[in-house]
Order: sequence, then structure tokens, then C-alpha cells
Amino acid sequence: MKDVYSTGEAAKICRVSQQTIIRCFDAGKLQGFYVPGSRFRRVPRDALVKFMKENSIPLSNLDSGKKKVLVVDDEAEIVEMLVDSLQRDGRFEVKTASCGYDAGILTQQFRPDVIVLDYMLRDINADVVCKTVRGNPALEDTRIIVISGMVEEDKVQGLYDLGVHAFMRKPFQIDELISKIVELLHI
Amino acid sequence: MAASGLQRRKLEVLVDEVENLPTLPGVGHHLLSLLGDDRPSRRDLQLVVEADAALSARAVRLALQAGRPAEAVTSIDDVFDSVPLGALVADLLSIETLDPETAADLALARLWRHTLACGMAAQVIANRLGTVAPSAALLAGILHDIGQIALATALPRAYSQVLEHAQAAGLDLLAAERTMLGIDHAVLGKRLARRWGFSETLQNAIWLHHQSQIPAERTAAATLIQVVRLADLVVRQEGFGYQPSEQIHDRAAEVAERLGLSSASAHQVGRQVVTAFDLNAQPIGMDRTPALEEMWSAAAEARGRLGRLFRAESRHAAQAEAQARRADLLMSLNSRLAACRSIQDVLSTVAANAREALAVSAVAPYLLSRDGDYVEGVLCPPQGGGEHFIHGLKKGEGVEALSAEPAPTAAGTPVRAERLEAWLFERHGARLGSGPFYTISMTAGDARVGGVVFSLRPGSGELSAQQAGELAALASVAAVALKRVQAEADLLALSEELAEVNRQLQAAEHDRLQRRNVASLGEMAAGAAHEINNPLAIISGRAQQLAAEEKTPARQEMLKSIIQQAARISDIIADLRLFARPPAPQPEEVDPAALARQVAEEFLTGPQAADSPRIRLEAAEAAPKVRIDPAQVGGALREVVRNALEACSNGRGANVTIAVRSVAAQGAVRLIVTDDGPGMDPQVRARAFDPFFCGRDAGRHRGMGLPKAYQAVLASGGQMTLESDAGRGTTVRMTFPAAGPQT
Repeated sequence: MKDVYSTGEAAKICRVSQQTIIRCFDAGKLQGFYVPGSRFRRVPRDALVKFMKENSIPLSNLDSGKKKVLVVDDEAEIVEMLVDSLQRDGRFEVKTASCGYDAGILTQQFRPDVIVLDYMLRDINADVVCKTVRGNPALEDTRIIVISGMVEEDKVQGLYDLGVHAFMRKPFQIDELISKIVELLHI
Repeated sequence: MAASGLQRRKLEVLVDEVENLPTLPGVGHHLLSLLGDDRPSRRDLQLVVEADAALSARAVRLALQAGRPAEAVTSIDDVFDSVPLGALVADLLSIETLDPETAADLALARLWRHTLACGMAAQVIANRLGTVAPSAALLAGILHDIGQIALATALPRAYSQVLEHAQAAGLDLLAAERTMLGIDHAVLGKRLARRWGFSETLQNAIWLHHQSQIPAERTAAATLIQVVRLADLVVRQEGFGYQPSEQIHDRAAEVAERLGLSSASAHQVGRQVVTAFDLNAQPIGMDRTPALEEMWSAAAEARGRLGRLFRAESRHAAQAEAQARRADLLMSLNSRLAACRSIQDVLSTVAANAREALAVSAVAPYLLSRDGDYVEGVLCPPQGGGEHFIHGLKKGEGVEALSAEPAPTAAGTPVRAERLEAWLFERHGARLGSGPFYTISMTAGDARVGGVVFSLRPGSGELSAQQAGELAALASVAAVALKRVQAEADLLALSEELAEVNRQLQAAEHDRLQRRNVASLGEMAAGAAHEINNPLAIISGRAQQLAAEEKTPARQEMLKSIIQQAARISDIIADLRLFARPPAPQPEEVDPAALARQVAEEFLTGPQAADSPRIRLEAAEAAPKVRIDPAQVGGALREVVRNALEACSNGRGANVTIAVRSVAAQGAVRLIVTDDGPGMDPQVRARAFDPFFCGRDAGRHRGMGLPKAYQAVLASGGQMTLESDAGRGTTVRMTFPAAGPQT
């Protein structure tokens, strides 16, 4: 969890422009300090929370300090199992979806760092989800890992071409999946 | 002077020995003069025979002896219709004539006149009645007194006493006969007629013609008896009785009435006979007694004629014997040939038959091929034994000339063989012995099938017509048998061809089914991958979570096992998918020898190389390149080699050979993996490419190695076959088309 934010980070969390944050900082509405020997402004976490509460800004965007993982699979048991393991690890904030539609909405709202995506969903397949995510520049940094029980060897390359970062075959080693997430997010 | 029973019996025995009745010398002379002609006319002969009781009896017997049923011989017409004139002539030539003195003593001419008159009267009466055949009435009338003729001619002295006694005592002749001889001529006549097989009707007419009380049946047979009785009475009244002074009781009117005729009409009959009698009697010599010289010359002529007839018959008999012999020969040959199933069998049988049944020394029957380009035969040299041969024929060789010129041999007559069958003498001249040689053509329909070359036994002279005929018959039967065997062989070839086509169809069907099975297996595996891998992921994942928290090593192991088995199931499904839907090949030009070398190297340097049976690589020849997916085909080769090594493991085999061969004829290259392991039995071999089928007792693999290899080879455009026998190792061949010139 972060303790101190730059004005850019604070702007992102509050969903306002960086200028607005600087103005509020300079006006004393947002408490903070300059980095010693420089002009860089810094906002402590507590001050940011107070500012957001005073100005009725939802706290949901406030960085929990954890990496956000969206697990998408139509098999509830798998979802549950992955959530168990990821939460137990402690480094991840996890949300889940059971179909492509839910996955789309949650990706927009939750802005996951990583999507763990089952290839074959109830409504659409993973390649459609991939195309949608990659088509949105705001989600440029979102990493995608596809897990599947049935994708054929020669189709895996097609997934990579769509912008998938990793592919894992079911059944998989959970440790390996977490390692892969950690590796992709440079944690 | 009454006759004793003994006398009567003696008489019966004597009469029983009477085979033929003699005729009057004048009739005999006339008959012989007719028969002296080489072609006597039937009409003239019939006129004599019809008018004479002895000749009529003889003719009827002849027809009966020739097998005519008694009831069908009712007239002399019937006899002449059923007995060939030649046979009749031959029989009549041996007619006996009465000694003229005896004939004169007994006034037998009167008896003959009586019988002829009676016959004529009966014929006239029958004509008037319309219910009895006139020709049958004539015969019955003529024959009615054969008993009397037999008595008079067999016992002339005794009978002259009977006549005297009848005359002296004023007795009826029948009564006198019974008194003197113990039996009368009517009974004797019936006895003779029965012994000679005459019809019942004739027997009864002869027996009952004196009886006044005749059953008044309305049958034709009963009517005939009445007709004869009436005729007998009528002609006696007209002076045609045997006894010069017999008492004539006029019963004619009574009998005529019974027949439905008036007495006037009966009288007319008598007058008619009187008028016509001489017209019938004179021409046949009944009234004449020829001089002794005349008789001699007629007899001599008859002897000559008999001699000629005998010679002609002997010739016929000889011909018949030859024909019978030929028929026997053909029948035995036919039955032996019927059992023959091959051309060689037929030829050997023909040769053996010719040697056994016909007087041949060397014999060589042969078959000419349909195209006339070779001959197949069996050669039996004079000293016996037989040798099968097949020779190709050069253009213009003897047989060709022979088949081109059917004229001399087509008729099936043997001709000299030395020139015509030159091919045989060129090749086997020394073994054939000494000639002369003959050849006879075997033809079936219009086609020449072959021939029989033969030589006669030394000392048997020239080829006789009979031998020639027998050999021709043999050749024709043999030709038919050869044709049959050829047709059977053709049929067999056709059925084999059909069986092969059928087998190919079955194989294609099997292949189609296999492909369909593989396709549906692919569908199934794809579905299974999704449906099974998800639960497997959960099982494995949960076990991993539990294992992470588990402190007890034993429980940790258990959880690890769960995880491993889940992975194993998943692998099986992946294999199945790979088998059913192998990834599309990425073909490139590959040096098959290099590929084989690479695979061999892997095994030679691999971790278990030391324990392995010896791997040998035979890729010396420069095989052309092939266009294949090297990874997939390499994998397939690896699987096959691994399979071979496993088959040889535990000392069950010592060598695995990987060979690369160019199959120039097919424009192909073949990778061959051979092991000398225990091999497969047919059941295992048939299923070697089936997924999950594992022929080994304890399979380390899932039985997917060979099936996957098979699919991979197929995907790269190749073919894979497996040949194996229990105890003889296994050979797997992977054949790929050689790559064409670089484009």
C-alpha cells in the first residue's frame, strides 16, 4: 500500500486533472509537502483520504496497495479456487466474472492489472475479450493470461498474436500461475 | 385201340419239340425262288406268307421273338410292319419243306387248301361283319389247324393210321385223333400256339373252332372264334375239307345266325372262296409239286443267299464290336477325365488311356495355348512314364502352321506327324523312340485345342481304320475335357480376381470406417478436453492448496499423487486429440537418411543407451529427399523405434535396424524399422494402430505411440504398414513419395 502520492497519482485516484490537484495543493485545500530540495509536491495518504472525503470523491479508486486481478471463468469452482489462492497470497485484490459480458464491465470499472481468462466462456470466447481489451488504449497496461482445457497447440500462437501475455493449460499449477502474474506485473 | 395216358404224354412231348412247321414243296420252292433275289419285294413275300399256314406261324413267331407284344401281332401285316425285311428273309430262307412222298401219302395239299380256304372265308366274313379286322380273321383262319399240320408232319405214319381209322370207322377226325392218339389237333394246336407265345385270341380261335357251344360274348375275341368256326364250316361245305369223304353237318346257318348273318350270306361266302381260291393258291405253288432238280437248284440258291447274308451279318457284327469297344473306351476315358481338375491331369489321363486301350507306343497329347504362343503337354516315351512340358513356340513353328491349315486334321483323322509337329521332334525327338509318328488334332467346336502325337507299337503294322477311329474319338473327348478344364481355370481366375477386388473394397471400407472412427474420436476428444480438464483443474488445484498447508509428509505425498494423476488424465486426452486431429504438417524437403541418423543418434546417446538392444542404421544409399514435416515424421520414427526397442527389451530381441531405402519403381523412399523381438500374433497385429491398444503385458505407454505415428505419417502424405509374426519380429515400413524437382 502506498503512503505518499505524487500529484499525478492523486489526480488519477480522484479522477480529476493534475492541474486541479496542484491548484488545491497550492490553495491549501489538499495538505502535503515538497520533496526536500525540489519543486515536486507530495501528498500523504491520510491527507488524500481527508481531501477526497471533504470533496465527496469515491474512495474506491484509492489504491489499496494491492495488484488487481480479474478472474474470468464460467466454472464457479475454478473461480472460487483461484480467488482462494490469490487472496491467501495477500498481494492481490481480486474480482471475478463468469461470462464475457461481466468481464467487459468489470474491466472498465475495476481496471485490473491482470485478467486471468478462461478461453471458452458461456457467451464469447477469450479471443473476443482480448480484442476488446486491446482495442481500448486506456487498458494498454492490462496483462492477459489465458487458461484453457482445450485450446490446440497451433491455436496458442493466434492468442499471443492477439496480445495475450501468457497461456496455461488446465489443469495447471497454481504456484506457476501466481509466479506468472508476479512476473508480468514486475512485483 | 384206345390211346393210353403214356401215349398221350409221349405225343405231347413230341409236339412240344416242334419248332417249325414245314411247308408244301411247291410253296417252299416258290418262296425260295422269291428269296433268291437280292431285293425281294415285300408284297410278293407277304402274299406267300399270308396264304401258307406254316409260313404264317413262322412269321408270327419271328415278330414275337423280336419283342412285339402278342396282342399287337394279329395279322401278317403287323409282322411285316414290325420285323425288318432282311431279318424276315434270313429266317424264311431256312424254311423246311415236306418230303413230297409224305405230302402225297397224307394228301397234305388238301389240308393246306383247307387252311387257305378257311382263311379266305374268315376274311370275307369279317369284311361283311365289320366288327373284326379282316386281316386278323385271315390269319386266324389260316392258323386254325396248325395242330393238325403239326401232327401230320411230325408223326406221318401214326397220322395216316388215324386217317385210315376215321375213314374206316366213319368217325369225325377229332374223335379218331382222340381215340388213336389220346389228344385231338385242336387241343394240340392251342398247346403249340401258347408255347409259341401267340395271343390269347389266336390261341382260342385255334382251340375252339370246332366247338358248337362257344360263350356268346360280344367281344371281338369271341366274335373272331365264331368267324373262324363259320369259315371252317362254310369251306368244308364247298369241298375244301381235309378228309375226302367227311360227314358234313350243316351247322353253318346256325353259326352264321349267331354272328348276325343269314344262311344265304354264309353260302355266298363259300361261293366267293371257291371263285377266288385258285387266284391265291396257284401263284404260290400250292397245287404244284416241283421236280427234285428244281428243288435242288432252289435250295442251292438259298444256301448261297444264306451265305451272303451270313457274311454281311459278320461284317456288321465286327463293326458293332468295334463301335462297342470305342464306346467302352470313350466311357472309361470320359469318367476318368471327369475327375480331372487341371490341364496336366487331363493330358496325363489321355496319354495313359491311349497307352492302355489303344496299341500306341509313344504318345504325347498337348494343349495349344489360346494365342498359339506356347504348347503344354505330357510326353510318354515308349518305355513308359510321363513328363510334363511347356514350350514357347516361335513364329512359323509346326503347330502354328497346323492350326492355320485345318484341312488335313480338322476331320479328326490322324496324319503323319514328323513335319507337322516339328517343334515336338526338335525338342524331344530322342525320347520319342522310332516312328512312324502320327498326329491327330483335338478340336472343340471350330477351335483347335491341341493334338495327340503317337507312334504304333513295333510290329503292329500300319494304322488301321479302326485304330484311327478310336484315336479320333479319344482326341475329341480329350478336347472337350481340355476345354472344360480351361473354362474352369478361367472361372477360378475370375473368381480370384473378384475376391481380390472384394478384398480391396473391404480394405477401402475398413479404411473409410477407420477414418470416420478417427473423426468421431476427434470430436469426442475435443469435447472431453473441455469437460474433463475443468474438473481436473479443480481437483488438481484444490489438492495443490491443501498440499501447501499440509505439514505431514505422508499426506503431502498423497496430495501430490492426486495432482500427478490429474495431469496424467489430461495428458491422455491431449494424446487422443493429437491422434484424432494431428496438427497440420509443416512440410519441407528433408533428407530421410539424415532424419533417420538423427533419431538413431538420440537413442544411441540417450540415457538408456547402454541397456538398449543394438541399433543399426542402414542408410548407405543416397535416397532422394522427401517432402514431409520433419518434426512429426521424426516423432513418428522415434515412436516406432521406441516400440521396437521395447519389444526387444528384457533380452527378447537383440537388434533393431533403421533402414532408409529408395523404391525407385514407385518413386518413393521407405524408412524401415525392423526388430528381432517376439513379434505379434495376428490379433495384436491387426490392432497395432488402434488408440489405447497395447499388445504388451504391462504397457508403460498408453498405447498411443504407434497410432499417433501412423497419423503423422499419413498427414505427411506417406503410408505406414506393419508386418509381424509371432516369434519372427516386426517390420514397420513408412513410405513417402520422393520430392519432385525443386521448383
